[in-house]
Parts: sequence; structure tokens; C-alpha cells
Amino acid sequence: MAERNLDSVKKIREAVSQDLLGGRISQVLGWEKGHYWWQSRPLFARSEADLEKLTWDSFCVINLSRYLLEELKDHEKVGVLVKGCDARAFNRLLQDNMVKREQVILYGLPCPGMLDYNRLCEEAGAVPDGIVENNGTVVLKTDGGEKEVQREDIMLDKCRECVYPDPAAYDQMLLSPQGEREAAERFKPVEELEELPADERFAYWEKELSRCLRCYACRQACPFCSCRECFVEQENPRWQGRAYQPSENFMFHLVRAYHGTGRCIDCGECERSCPVDIPLQELNRKLIKDINELYGDYEAGLDAEAEPPLLTYRPDDPAAFSEK
Amino acid sequence: MKKIIAREKLPELWKSLSELGPLFLPVQEGPVVLFQPWQEGAETNLDTTNTAVPPKDLFLPREETYMQYRCKGKELEVIPAEEVKPAVLFGVHPCDLYAVEMLDKVYMEQDPPDELYKKRRENTTIVALSCASPDPFCFCNDFDVNPAEAPGTDVMAQLKNGSVLLEAKTDKGKALLEQAGDLLEDGSGEEFARREVKTADFNLKLDGLPEDLKNRFEDPVWDELFKSCLGCGVCTYVCPTCYCFDVEDFGHEAGGERFRCWDSCMYGHFTEMAGGHNPRPGRKERVRQRFMHKLRYYPETFGQIACVGCGRCLRSCPVNLDIVQAIQALGGETVEQR
Amino acid sequence: MSSVNVLLPQQATILDITEETPDIKTLRVVGKEGLPFDFMPGQCAMLSIPPVGEAIFSITSSPTCRECLEFSIKDVGKVSSALHSVVPGQQIGIRGPYGNGFPVDEMKGKDLLFIGGGIGLAPLRSLIGYCFAHREDYGKIDIVYGARSPADLIRKSEVQESWAEEPDTDVHLTVDAEFPGWDKNVGFVPTYVSDLGFKPENKIAITCGPPIMIKFVLQALEKLNFTPDQVITTLEMRMKCGVGKCGRCNLGPVYVCKDGPVFTLEELNALPAEY
Repeated sequence: MAERNLDSVKKIREAVSQDLLGGRISQVLGWEKGHYWWQSRPLFARSEADLEKLTWDSFCVINLSRYLLEELKDHEKVGVLVKGCDARAFNRLLQDNMVKREQVILYGLPCPGMLDYNRLCEEAGAVPDGIVENNGTVVLKTDGGEKEVQREDIMLDKCRECVYPDPAAYDQMLLSPQGEREAAERFKPVEELEELPADERFAYWEKELSRCLRCYACRQACPFCSCRECFVEQENPRWQGRAYQPSENFMFHLVRAYHGTGRCIDCGECERSCPVDIPLQELNRKLIKDINELYGDYEAGLDAEAEPPLLTYRPDDPAAFSEK
Repeated sequence: MKKIIAREKLPELWKSLSELGPLFLPVQEGPVVLFQPWQEGAETNLDTTNTAVPPKDLFLPREETYMQYRCKGKELEVIPAEEVKPAVLFGVHPCDLYAVEMLDKVYMEQDPPDELYKKRRENTTIVALSCASPDPFCFCNDFDVNPAEAPGTDVMAQLKNGSVLLEAKTDKGKALLEQAGDLLEDGSGEEFARREVKTADFNLKLDGLPEDLKNRFEDPVWDELFKSCLGCGVCTYVCPTCYCFDVEDFGHEAGGERFRCWDSCMYGHFTEMAGGHNPRPGRKERVRQRFMHKLRYYPETFGQIACVGCGRCLRSCPVNLDIVQAIQALGGETVEQR
Repeated sequence: MSSVNVLLPQQATILDITEETPDIKTLRVVGKEGLPFDFMPGQCAMLSIPPVGEAIFSITSSPTCRECLEFSIKDVGKVSSALHSVVPGQQIGIRGPYGNGFPVDEMKGKDLLFIGGGIGLAPLRSLIGYCFAHREDYGKIDIVYGARSPADLIRKSEVQESWAEEPDTDVHLTVDAEFPGWDKNVGFVPTYVSDLGFKPENKIAITCGPPIMIKFVLQALEKLNFTPDQVITTLEMRMKCGVGKCGRCNLGPVYVCKDGPVFTLEELNALPAEY
């Protein structure tokens, strides 16, 4: 069993139940446990009984904000538990006019970083029976005994590299902020790739993308992919062929990445969702890095009021359109 | 016929078998293990439990061009694709072959047979590998799946004390072992070790579930279950018993090809008609379709639930919405927090 | 030889094309030697035109017509649109026949009431032609056919002249609104069916048309005391294979391409209404 932070869970339940049972909102999006202690799944809580299932632990990785696209069709106002990345995702949807701020109550949950099941197993040498979290370390329990590891070492890559664990948008902050954290260098893999000659870069991506099943999990989990009709499904013209050819795989992933330029909030849900572990976040990071270099530092989703560099038009734009 | 070979000599065996045609076996591809054609120096991984994607694409390829066309003026010429070449599938676990049996029912037994599938099936020699230790996501104990025996395999294999014991089960399997010649030593004195493989057991109550679901198309369970579904196709593509396909043309006015490729009932365009009408317009209808197909429709036609407990949907669904959750929600459950 | 890929089309040639309405054309099609295949009324065929692709269409000619197959095609999608641009002599791909067809034997000795709307006449026309060719097998034939406007009625001269002159046959035409020169009924098909007050005794009603029309026709027939086993309809779904494998046209365990597209209302009532 993963040991839940019972105080935190209690605090969260109290806060949301007040709004839910008081009628301010008709549903809360949170997490409940899945089949295994290392899995959580989305919870759509509408009653006190539902709230009993609500959990908050080191496996609440699924970004909930995207569900607002559907849930706000059926609900006037809903509450959402938001980690740093969920909050940036919410701002993304807000900037894309996909949600209305007044329809949502955001409950901020500063995020300690979510744990990676595969790393847990690697470190433990087996599937652990459970874990106990201490301050900064985690004890992995297996039949063979216990092993204490640094929490940072068994976090998901995307969480190790996360710069903004505290929600940038919230109505109520429910737990104490994580504050500044020393994140693993997120642009490093991109810089390494940039060093390679073009043909090697191409070969790298051709190989990685060759695994693509075109299940579109990356797109469906993504907070910037909120188009009502994606170019992939458009029939006339048919941009995206259904064939499993390298060119079609490039077409899908590169067009998707470009659609996210200046819009990707770097939550890494695309890569986490990929059933064949394609390093999709490297594509997005390359574009985040380029935007930072070309237009000055910009972090999508951090400030809903900030002008997204590529969605801003200025007649006196200093750069000519065709200039290299 | 029983043969045995030391594990370190396997690459030689694979080299020899790959002369028969492409030899597919579990290969480490970056962070995941997939069935890939063997080539010199391939990082094979026989210790994996289940590959990220089942080997169904050997018989129902992700993409399969079955004809070329040429147009000249008003004329249309249709050129069928070349014959399917022999292949070998090595190291497939029993659950995946139980699933292939289910695909066989649709593609070979149900009239009309699908010749594309049938030829690939007939031209593939299968070496199944019994399971040693299950993945935490495996739950084949909930089904009538024996992790030590694989239905319809040509050769049954077991990893045993640094060796691989192989037993031919069919003539095709015999021919395969003969192909290897002296690389294989006589294994007639060897016995397959009897191992009890204890997978996760969700204690699913499956008896009577298909029958029970007959009147539950409008059950309120469906109003809730679909909500977390993202509408991607992971579950269908990693599922060994999912088999839907699309047919598309690729080319231009003068010439090109027609192919079929995997498709998913989880996609909106799957059922959308030319005029825009969609009989399964939303995630609810599509989630219901997928689970009802596994648990009610397939059983009605073929007499068994279309799931083998391979656990891939438990492992790969980005939001952990899987068939176990569906069965539990539908009442075939004993909920247990693990 | 059994080892033929069922997805492979055979060549067929367009004989000629009739413009029925602003958005419906009827194509007459022959195989290499006469009909590409034998079929029964209500069955469908997969027509293809590379590089656009394939789509399923009901065969509108009667199997008793041995010269060619006819398809009345409404321009609604990619393939149908491409088929609207073919010219006589052009070759297309064809495969089939698919589906169960109408239960022509079980309908023997019964009076038949055909109710069609717009392009929905296409599959009915195959059966109507078949019944006229086997006239002695069937009783009184009533044909109610309607469209939005007179210009949207297909096979106009055939319906009004040939069919109306068949023995023991009445043709009842209707359009949705008044139009200059229109002297037949004005009103929606379901209302007209109610107004005509058909008696259900020894009668089978066969209906095809837009979903909304079918919905109200079924209600009208129920009010006229038709029982579900007396009502037959034919469904349209997105299809790719035509042989019950590609997975998209099912109603529960039943595949419309293979087990349908013709169903009695009684059969449909027992299936999920996903059409």
C-alpha cells in the first residue's frame, strides 16, 4: 500500500465537500485509487460517498484540467484539484477560450512530484509491496526487506524536471507551497540532440517514431490539443494519412508539436501516456527552448494574462515575416 | 520431438531460423519490448512477460497493402499484392496465443474467411514460451488461460536452467526444429518443469456475465464508467483480442495502392457516416461498445469472453480505465484494494 | 478457388448515368461479363474509385434485370462525390453482394406496403422490381413515396408511369410543401401513411428513408396496428469490409453488413439502437 498523507487528504476533502455539499459546485474532479497502490485514476465526485474515495498521494499524476472540456457541458460549475501542471493546463484552456474562469473552482495542491512505478521496481529489484514516504526519502518494502531511496531518484522524469510544482492559478491553496525547487535540467536532452548532424537527428526520430501506434493518446491527454476537430481527422483535404509510414508518423508528431509551440505547458502527459514510450516531450521542449531563445523567456500556462508569443500580433513587430 | 539448446547459443538458432523468413521475437526497443524481426546483434529479451504490443500484427498487420491500382484514361487495373512469405514467431506467451485463437474465430472460421489473415496464419510457425513469473499486471488466472500451455502453437518452449527446452507440437513445428539441425541437442530425456504461475487474481465473476449484460445496454453504469476515458486508442491497440481495421487508398489518379490498417472503435470517425450522422457519437457509446464487445457481443457469437487477462490495458491506459474496472463496475467483481 | 481475398474489387464499367435530382445520380454498371455477381433485393455492393476509396451502396436494380446493376447515389461524402464525376465507359471497382436482402420468400402471398423517402427509395426499388417480376407471388402493392420537393423524387417517370400501371398496384406520391404544378399530395410521408389508413391484415410494410422519417413512419404504422414483425426496414451504416470483420457497423452482436441491412422492426427492437 502507498501510505496516504492522511492529514492532506482530510484537508482536501473538507475544503471540497464544503463547496460540493453547499451547492457552489456540482462536481469535483480529483483522484481515487486504481487497482494497484501505484495507480490512481480520475474521480468525478458528486456526493459525500464519492468524496470518501478521494485520494492524494504520490501517484495522482493524471492531469485533470482537460476533463473540463467535457464536464462543463453537463455542469454549471465544477471544482478541480490542480497540481502545478494541472493549473498551467487550466490556464492554457482559459487562454484558448475553451473554459470560463467563473465556471471553475481551482483547489491548489503544491506538488512534491509524482513517483515512477518503473523506477520503484528497478530500485527495489522487484515490485514493491508498498512504500513509506519520509521527508525526502522513500522506503520501498519488498519480501526481501526494505530499501530507502531518495525521493527525487524515483520520481517521474517529467516531475524531476518540473520547474513549477506550485499551482500558478487557484482559488484556494489547500496545502503549503513547495516553493522554488532545483529541477533537473529539462533542456539537456534537447541540447544533446541539437549537437547531432541533421541526418543523425532524422535517424533518431525515425527510429523513435517508428514505434508509434497512432493511438493518439499523446493528443488526447494533452491540454493544448483542444481543437474540436483535429487535422488528423479532417477528410477534405486529408492532411494525415492512416498508413503506418515514417512520413505519416512525422507528419502527425511534428504538426502536433508545432501546434503546441508557445502553447505547450510542459506537463509531459503526452510522453507519459505513450504506450511505447516515445520521448515526445523532447519535441515539445525543443520548441519551448526555441521560443525562449527567439522571443524571450516564456512559460506557457504560468500566467493566463501573459501574451503567448506566437498568438500575438503587433503591427510594429520588429521581425519581418520572411526573415530567417 | 524434444530439443534443447543453451541460452547463449540462441543467437545462432535465431540466425538459422531467420533463413526461413523473418523471425519475430521480443526485442528491447529503447524502453519497451516489442516483437521485431530478428537481426544480427538484436537486443532480444526473452525474460519479458508481455511485450508492450501483442504480436497480433503478424497476422493482422498494422498496415497491409493488398492491392495496387493503375488508372489509364477510363481504365482501372487492379493488381493483387504479392503472396505472403513464411515467418516465424518466437517467444510468444500463452495468453497471446489464446487471443490469436479468438481472432481465428473471426478471421478464419466465420464465413467468409479472410484470406489475408489466413495466409499469414498458415505461413507463420509459432514457438510459444511458457511463463515463468508473471508481470504484476497479468491476470490470466481470472480466465481459462494456462500460462504453461499455448493453444495452437507449433513448438512449445520453456526457459530452464540456462537452457531452452523445445517440443514440437505440429508438423510445422517439427520442420522448424529440423531446420535448426545440429544447433539443437536431443531433449527427449528432459521434462518441462511444472510451474504454478500465480498472477494477479481479481476474483472476477465471469460466469453468466455475458448473459447478464444482455439487458444492460442502458445500464446507468455506462453513464459513469466512460467519464475518465480520454478517447485515445491505446486499449484497442495493445489488446490482443481487438481486431478492427480500416481500408484506405493511397496514391493519385494514375496509380497507387489500397491498404488496410488498424482502426479503433474508440475513435469518433470510426462509425461516422458520410452525411455526418454518427451512431456512436460520444465517449460513452464508444466505451460501452468496446467493453460490450469483449464481454457480451463476442461471447454471444463465439461462446467466450474476448479477454485473456494479459494485463496490457491495465498497464497502458493513461488514466487506468481498464477491463477489470469495467467488469467490476458491471458487478462481476470482488473489489480488493491491492 | 477459395483463396481469394474478399476485399479485392473486380472491375466494373459505367454504362451510363442518369441525373435524378440535383444531388442524386443513378449509375448503370456492368462487370467484365454481364452482371458482376448475382444478388437479392436489399443487398449492397462496395463501390470504389481510387484514390478516393470505397463505400457501400444498396443495389437499386432488381435482380431480374440481367443487363446491369444500378446504383442511385446521393452526393454526401468523398466516394459518392467522386462517383458523381464518373463518365460512361469509366471503370470502377466493385465487390459484393453484401447483406441478407429482403425476405422475399416470407413475403409471398402478402400485400406489400412500400414507404420510401428521398434516396430511401433506392433499396426498395430493387424489391419492387423483383415483386413485379414475380407478380403472382405477392398481393396488393401500395407504394408511398415522398421527398422534400418534386425535384427531389428519383425515378420519377418509372414510379409515376410504369409502376402505377402495374396490376393491383397503387402509387401514392407526396412532397413536403406546395409546389407549382404539383397536383399530388402535400405533406410528410408519415402523415400521408396515416391519412391513407392502411389496414395491417396480411400486409407487410417495408420502409426506407432518412432516420427522422423512419422514426415517424414506425409510429404511424404502430397506430395503424401493424405489429413489429410486419414492418421491415433497411439500415445504412459506415462500413469498410462488408463481411462482418472490420468492426464498425454492429448493433450489439449483429453486423449490419452481414446480418442486415434488412431487419424487421421486431428484430431491431431486440438490438441496441445504435444506428
